[in-house]
Amino acid sequence: MNVKNPRSLRCGPVSTPRGKPVLTAATASLRGGVYSLLALGLSFSTALAEPRTDNLYWAPPNFTAGGAQIDSILNFIFWLTLVVFIAVQAVFIFYLVKYRRRKGQPAYYCHGNNVLEIVWTSIPVLIFLGLAIYSNRLWAELHSDPPPDALQVNVSAFQFGWDFRYPGADGKLGSVEVDKISNENKFGIGEADETGKDDFTSTELVIPYGRPVHIILNSRDVIHSFYVPFFRLYQDAVPGRTISWVWFKVERPGNFELACSQLCGTGHYNMKAPIRVVSQEEYDKWFAGKVQAAATARLHEGTPPSQVAAK
Amino acid sequence: MSAITAEQPLQEAVKDAHHPKESFFRKYLWTYDHKMIGLQYFWTALLFLFLGGGLALLVRYQLAWPNTPVPVIGHLLPATVAADGAIIPGGYNMLVTMHATVMVFFVVMPLLIGTFGNYLIPLQIGAGDMAFPLLNEISYWLYFLSGIFLLSAFFVPGGAPGTGWTAYAPLSAVGAYNGTQMGQSLWGVAIFVNGLSSIAGATNYITTIVNMRCPGMSMFRMPLSVWALFITAILLVLAVPVLSAAAAMLFCDLNAGTSFFRPAGGGQPLLWQHLFWFFGHPEVYILILPAMGLTSDIISVFSRKPIFGYKAMIYAIIAIAFLGFIVWGHHMFVSGMNLTLSAAFSVSTMFIAVPSAIKTFNWLGTVWRGSIEFTTAMCFALAFVSMFVIGGLSGIFMASTPVDLFIHHTYFIVAHIHYVLFGGSIMALFGALYFWFPKMFGRMLDERLGKVHFFLTFIFFNVAFFPMHNLGLGGMMRRISDPPIYEHLKQLQPLNQISTVGAIGLGFTTFLFVWNIIISLRRGAKAPANPWHSNTLEWTVPSPPGHGNFPVTPTVYHGPYEYSVPGLSKDFLPQNEKAPKHVKLEAH
Repeated sequence: MNVKNPRSLRCGPVSTPRGKPVLTAATASLRGGVYSLLALGLSFSTALAEPRTDNLYWAPPNFTAGGAQIDSILNFIFWLTLVVFIAVQAVFIFYLVKYRRRKGQPAYYCHGNNVLEIVWTSIPVLIFLGLAIYSNRLWAELHSDPPPDALQVNVSAFQFGWDFRYPGADGKLGSVEVDKISNENKFGIGEADETGKDDFTSTELVIPYGRPVHIILNSRDVIHSFYVPFFRLYQDAVPGRTISWVWFKVERPGNFELACSQLCGTGHYNMKAPIRVVSQEEYDKWFAGKVQAAATARLHEGTPPSQVAAK
Repeated sequence: MSAITAEQPLQEAVKDAHHPKESFFRKYLWTYDHKMIGLQYFWTALLFLFLGGGLALLVRYQLAWPNTPVPVIGHLLPATVAADGAIIPGGYNMLVTMHATVMVFFVVMPLLIGTFGNYLIPLQIGAGDMAFPLLNEISYWLYFLSGIFLLSAFFVPGGAPGTGWTAYAPLSAVGAYNGTQMGQSLWGVAIFVNGLSSIAGATNYITTIVNMRCPGMSMFRMPLSVWALFITAILLVLAVPVLSAAAAMLFCDLNAGTSFFRPAGGGQPLLWQHLFWFFGHPEVYILILPAMGLTSDIISVFSRKPIFGYKAMIYAIIAIAFLGFIVWGHHMFVSGMNLTLSAAFSVSTMFIAVPSAIKTFNWLGTVWRGSIEFTTAMCFALAFVSMFVIGGLSGIFMASTPVDLFIHHTYFIVAHIHYVLFGGSIMALFGALYFWFPKMFGRMLDERLGKVHFFLTFIFFNVAFFPMHNLGLGGMMRRISDPPIYEHLKQLQPLNQISTVGAIGLGFTTFLFVWNIIISLRRGAKAPANPWHSNTLEWTVPSPPGHGNFPVTPTVYHGPYEYSVPGLSKDFLPQNEKAPKHVKLEAH
C-alpha cells in the first residue's frame, strides 16, 4: 500500500508573506523529484510524508480551511510586529547615534511627559484590544460544533504511538468511557455499547479531503499532543478525559506525519503516525476493505471489536 | 553578632576598622553581611551558569548533529545520558530538563535577586544591612543545598529527571511513566528547598525596604532597581509557595501513593499545570522585572538624564505584577482546559503587553536628548532594550489563541523565552555586573575586553536564537532529540546547525567574561567611590563599602535621577546632597 503522491506537499512556488516566490517551480519540482526518489528508495510499508521544499523561512503550506484563517491572523501579526519592530529599533538607533556624548552638548534635563505617557499607553491598549477580539472570534469559530456530516475518528495516544478507531458500517462511532480505557480496552468501549461493535481500528490516520473530520482525543497514560503543522492544529490529549472539540477540514490530498508535541517520555521524539489525506473514492475503497477485514476477524476470533487490530 | 541597622552604623564602622581579621569561615562561608551574601550568590550562580550553559551546548549539539558522538566530553557523560559518546533520547530529555531548571532557579533568579537584591537593596536605601541577616544567610545556604539535591539527580539510579522543567503530570508523577522516579523526586525536593530559600529572601527584602529606608528616602525616591526588586519580592512571596506545594504533592504522588495528579486514582493532570503556571507566569516576571530595574538605572546614568517617566515606570511594574497573576492560563490554551477560559486568558495576556510597551517607550524617552556614553555596561543595557522588544513582540503571536494552535510548543516559544530570558535578563545581568563590579570588588573591569565580550555576545546570541523563530514556524516541536526523523523537519536542519554554531560561540564568549573578572581582580584599576558619577547612595561610600555600609546614616533630599540639572557645576547630584538654593529640581 505504498501510495506515492510526490506533488502532495508541493504547491508550486509558495509565496512568502513578502509576496515573493522564493523557490521557482522548476527547482521545487526538481527537489520534489529527488526526494520522492529517495523516499521510493527507502520504501517503507506505509505512505511517506515528503520533506518540505517550499520557503523554509516561513510556515509550511497549509492544508485546512481553518488553517487559512489562522495564517491570515499570523500574517497580520507578523506585519504589525514587523512595523513596530522596525519603528522602535530605528528610533532607538537614531537616538543612540544622534545623542552620543559630544563636548559642549549637555543632556536635556527632563523627567518625562504625562501626555506622552497617556498616548503610548492608549495606543497599545487599543491595538491589543482589537487583536484580542479578532483572535477570540476566530477561536470561537474554530471551536464551533463540528458539522453533522463530519467523519468521527477516535484517536488514542499512548507511550509511544497512536491508535485510531473508525465508525464501522453503521457510520456511528462507539462512545468512549474514559474510566474503562486501558491497554486491553484501548478506546474505553463499554460492553453494552451497540454502536461500537462494528468499529474498526487502524494505525494510520486515513481521511478524505473536502469532508470535515471530528477528532475524539484520548490518552492512555500521560499527556500527549495531536500536532499537525500542515493543518495548523495542536491539541493536548489528557488522560482521564475526552477532548471532543477538535475538528478540521483538509482541502487537498497529501501525506503527513502526526507528531506528539508534548514531552511524554523517552520515546517522545519518535512518537508519530502516518496521516494520509485521500480522495473520497480512495477513502471509500480503504474503508470497505477495513470493514470487511474487521468483520472477518470478529467472525473467526470472536474477539471484541476493541481488540481487532488493523491488518 | 547582632543585626546591623541603619541606627547603629557608626560604631559598627569603627569596630570594623579595628576589628581583628575575621576567620575565613566567618567572612566567606557563614557571614551576616548582606554584601558578602550577595557575593556568595554571585560565585555560586556563576558556576551554575557554566553548568547550565554546558547542558545547553549538549542539547544544541544533539539537535544539529543527532546521534553522533559529542566531541571531547561525550565519553565522560553518565550512561543515562549518552551511549558511546552520543546522546540518547532519554538522556536528551534529561539535558533539556536540567538545563532549564538550572538556568531558571539556579542562575537567573540567584543572580538577579540573590546577588543584586542582597547587594543593592540596603546600600541603595541607606540601610546598614538587611532586616534579618541570619535569615539572609540561611536563605543562601538553602539555595546551595537545593543545588546539591538537583545535581545529585544525575548520579542516582535511573538518572536525572527528563520531564522538562515544567514537569507535566502524570508523566512526572508516576515512576513507571518517566523511568526516573528517584531523579524526579530529587527534582521535587530541590524545587521545594529552593522555594524556601526564595521565600526567606523575599520576606527579608520586603521587610528591609518597608522598614529600613534612611531619613528622606520616601518610596518615590527609591531607585527603580529597588522598586523592581521590591515588587519582585512580593511576587515571590505570593507565587513560590504554590510551586512548593505542587512540588510536595508531586513528591507524594511519586513516593507515598497519593493521587493528586494521577487520573487512575481520581487525580487531575491539569491541576499540576494550573498550580505550576500560577507560579510559572509570575515567575517569568520575577525573572525580568529586576532586569528592567537595573537596566533603567544604568541607562539613566550613561544618558546623563533623569529616567523618563519615573512614576510611569513604577506603575508599569505594579501593573505587570498584578496582571502577572491572571494570565497563567495562556500557557494552557490547548491543554484541554475549558475553551472559554482560554479566551479570557487571551485578553488578559494581550493587556500585560501594555506595561512592557510603556517601559520600552520610557527607555527610548530616556536616551532621547541625552549625552550617551557607550560603556560596556551601557551597551549591555541598550542591548537588553533592543532584544526585549523582539522577545515582547514575538509574545504577541502566542497571545493570539488561534495562532497558538499552530505554534504552541514549537521552537517559536523557545526563541521567545530565550529572547526574554537571555536577550533580556542575562544581557541586563552582564550590564549590571559591569556597572556594579567596581562597587562590589573595588576594581574596574577591563573596558576593552568588555566591549569584545559585548559584541561577541550580541552577535552569537542572535545567531543562536533568531533561527529558532523560523524553526518553530516550520513546525519543529520542542524537546525532540532527533528532528530529522520527521520529514517536514529534514530541510530545516541547516537552521539547527546555524543555531548550534551560535550557541557554541556564545558559550565560549562567556569565558571572556570570566577572564575579565580574573585579570581585573588581580590587576584592574582601583575603583573610586563613584566611578560613573552616579546619584544613588551606594556610590557615596568607598568601593567596596565597609561593614555597616554607611559611616553616618545618610539623609536623602531628592530622587535618584537628578542628572544634568541646569545651573549645577557638575552633571549629577547624589541623593544625599542638597541642591543649592538657586537650582530648581523638577518634581517627578
